[in-house]
Amino acid sequence: MKNVFLAVALIAFAATGLQAQKYFTREGSISFFSDAPLEKIEAHNGQATSVIDFESGKMEIAVLIKAFQFEKALMEEHFNENYMESSKYPKALFKGQIADLKGVDLEKEGTYPVKVIGSMTIHGVTNELEVPAELTIDKEGVLTGNTNFELVLADYEIAIPSVVKDNIAKTVKVTANFNFQEFKKGS
Amino acid sequence: MKNALIVVALLALIGVGVGLYLYNKPHKDIAHATPDFELASAQLFADFETDEAAAQARYLDKVVEVSGTVREVSAAEEGGLNVILNTESDFAGVICQFNAEQAEAAAGLQTGQEVTIKGVCTGMLMDVVLIRCVLIS
Repeated sequence: MKNVFLAVALIAFAATGLQAQKYFTREGSISFFSDAPLEKIEAHNGQATSVIDFESGKMEIAVLIKAFQFEKALMEEHFNENYMESSKYPKALFKGQIADLKGVDLEKEGTYPVKVIGSMTIHGVTNELEVPAELTIDKEGVLTGNTNFELVLADYEIAIPSVVKDNIAKTVKVTANFNFQEFKKGS
Repeated sequence: MKNALIVVALLALIGVGVGLYLYNKPHKDIAHATPDFELASAQLFADFETDEAAAQARYLDKVVEVSGTVREVSAAEEGGLNVILNTESDFAGVICQFNAEQAEAAAGLQTGQEVTIKGVCTGMLMDVVLIRCVLIS
């Protein structure tokens, strides 16, 4: 698999120079939470990447599965080896479109609810996904994005053995927060 | 019969003990782990860029000790820290993620400083990512 983000980055350099319509982060935060009768499990990842192109509305998010950290080593081991098969599928990727970008004014402080539509690939399985998100522009003009949504494990062919069916939820809650930087040469 | 019951009870106790131990098994102690690889941050990134699949097979889950120049230090959630090391690329780097308990040692790092950092390699997105890092020097 080629490095999609680097490709996006290079195209950005070549095509638009300094037109500041592209935003990115390499330190996005993604967490998920599984709330099952016997156990609550959460994991955090602070090295997710994301790119938004405000001209086209296209956006991407990528995350390394092995960079999710759990409280217990055993959970992390099972997550990687048994459920996500992260050596075979090291990344999760979302590629999509911000549907209602016209209402977002990057020059104006405010919080803008948007809808993101695209395809999510986890564990080698791709599904269409539509989630609500929020873009915020603060006083300094800094752009942040955040979203909460749920994922059904079965949709991504993540099989949970019946012995631990009360330990792991069938649906996990995902929370993502991104502090974007403008895409400039040398950034 | 009584003896058999005692044996069963003992086995059960051992089972529970082993189970509890496994359940609470600590994370790999990176600070005391012998690195599987020692190389320059630029070389690690170059290996991923040249052939990502081969680099994944070689480095994923391995303890890697990288040496390089600090490009950026930034605070992360829950008291953690990300230190980005330079590569040949202007854009891409090697991100070294420090958890709170190791962050203090790395918090004073300055851009341009030469460092050696040990962590677990998790792959590449824009940058190669090492997690659970420890500052060596």
